[in-house]
Amino acid sequence: MTKIIEAENLTKVYKGKVKAVDHISFSVEEGELFGFLGPNGAGKTTTIKMLNTIASITEGRASVAGHDVARSPGAVRDSIGVVPQELTADDELNGMENILLAARLHHVRGGEARKRATELLKLVDLDGSAGRRVKTYSGGMRRRLQLAIGLVHTPRILFLDEPTLGLDVQTRTKMWEYLGRLNKEQGLTIFMTTHYLEEADGLCDRIAIIDHGVIKASGSPAELKSRVGGDVLTIELTAGPDITGFLRGLPDVSDVVKKDQAYRIKLPRTEKALPAIVEGITRKGLEIKEISFTKPTLDEVFLDITGKSMRDEDADESESWVQNIMTERMN
Amino acid sequence: MFDETLALTNRALKKWVRNPFTIIPGLATSAFYLALFGNSFNPTNLVPASAAQYTAAIKASILGTTFSGAPTYITYLTAGVICLITVFNMSFGGIDIVLDRQLGYFNTLLTAPIPRAAIYFSGVFQNLAKAMLLALLTFVIALAIPNGLELPRTFGVLEFLGAFAAFGMLGLGLSCVFTTLALAARSIDSLIAVVNFINLPLIFMSSSLFPSSSFPSWLMAISNVNPISKADEAARILIVNGTPGGQTGTFVGDMVYLLGFVVAMGVLGYLGAARAMKPE
Repeated sequence: MTKIIEAENLTKVYKGKVKAVDHISFSVEEGELFGFLGPNGAGKTTTIKMLNTIASITEGRASVAGHDVARSPGAVRDSIGVVPQELTADDELNGMENILLAARLHHVRGGEARKRATELLKLVDLDGSAGRRVKTYSGGMRRRLQLAIGLVHTPRILFLDEPTLGLDVQTRTKMWEYLGRLNKEQGLTIFMTTHYLEEADGLCDRIAIIDHGVIKASGSPAELKSRVGGDVLTIELTAGPDITGFLRGLPDVSDVVKKDQAYRIKLPRTEKALPAIVEGITRKGLEIKEISFTKPTLDEVFLDITGKSMRDEDADESESWVQNIMTERMN
Repeated sequence: MFDETLALTNRALKKWVRNPFTIIPGLATSAFYLALFGNSFNPTNLVPASAAQYTAAIKASILGTTFSGAPTYITYLTAGVICLITVFNMSFGGIDIVLDRQLGYFNTLLTAPIPRAAIYFSGVFQNLAKAMLLALLTFVIALAIPNGLELPRTFGVLEFLGAFAAFGMLGLGLSCVFTTLALAARSIDSLIAVVNFINLPLIFMSSSLFPSSSFPSWLMAISNVNPISKADEAARILIVNGTPGGQTGTFVGDMVYLLGFVVAMGVLGYLGAARAMKPE
């Protein structure tokens, strides 16, 4: 397999102060669907911007489709398709006009452009709405149109920044279907960022988990989940002393993390450990308020690696009106 | 580069034409300036009623000597209002560019394999095209207003093209400046603040609304090098006289000045724009 994206010690510092991406290294194989998973503000979009040539690289290097991003940005732009997080299709143009404009900007012309646009509108189930102005589209339709726009020049690599952000479950599933087909049937290399765990889990061949600008772990979803080292039991007590030490001393308990009155207990062999835990707590005269049990998920992986669950961060206040427009476009 | 510039200019103009609410305010401004300002600030209104027997002669004298020999104040004002509309359009036309940047469209352009110059020149030309269409409609409004624009018999197609060449060069030069400012701006608020700081003094220090000969000497000196005054003067010579005649030297001088303004602003604007479009 050929490495189609390579990043070495990639670093981005904004205005000499804010380190958005901190010495990350990774590679993506040709034909792979690679996911960048992390919460808002983790550095995902900045990484994609550096690979797309619109953000400068402060330190390190990256190559896309065999071209150095800093030295040959033009060659990189020729090889990539980009589907941004924002809904950028023109409201006053119709679906077909939006795709044809993108085709022209990527030097796909005439009959070839129209043929490709028609095929892509069909692929994303917008062939019936091609003549409608985009301002009449729903958020899901706009996202699908953007996917088509990103593909119009048959790029070698498709970059998607949060492709299903704000979509309902049904439309999200549909988008996953399109992406899966593009990757599996057409062999398109896809680099996507997401903060949806199930998206990364169900869609990606490999994932890199990023937080605070640092890659914390990478591998296939199965490999990452196996790192958790077993199932996860969460027990919340009504009140009482700290029993972390007691729980850690029980057989078949590999780790315990306390948060408020809740204990998150990792169990390599759940069936053996569970009765002893419940019995021990009861014997101590403590009352269990809530008990839950989960198989390892990527959220568990994230929690395990970063010590916290995936979180959402508020948008910058100055951009809140932009968010409002985006929300309007999603409706 | 030409095809990409054309594609992006076409996109902007399609959006503009399909959203008539963005055109109407521009036309209304023209109509208000011509019909309201042109009548209420008409300098011949200042002739006192007590001089009734001399009124016609005084009015003719004011317009004839101070206002370039225009038969009506609106005839004098038309070139100025077209310049003013051009300045407003150019200065606020950049808002679309800032919006494109803030809503993410600009990044899709930056990731496309197109020359940065195409992005810049499409910004320049789309604003110029919008301004010239509004200029044309303003000209029509001026003709339609009662006691409005009165063209001399010698005003033909060539004179019309000459006047609009002056407006066009003013617009092109200004568009280069304001497109660059818009590319550099990160918010609409900051763009509007800068634009207001530039365009109002630029208009008031020109001969758009009143002849610079009535200004104090320091203001006259500024007005005489103001490209708006040059475009005003060149277009007014044709609108009022029909042909440059004895003012050919002034007309040619103004047009050469405007050409220099376009070249200088084009070069400076492009250098600034290239800097503004560098990776973050």
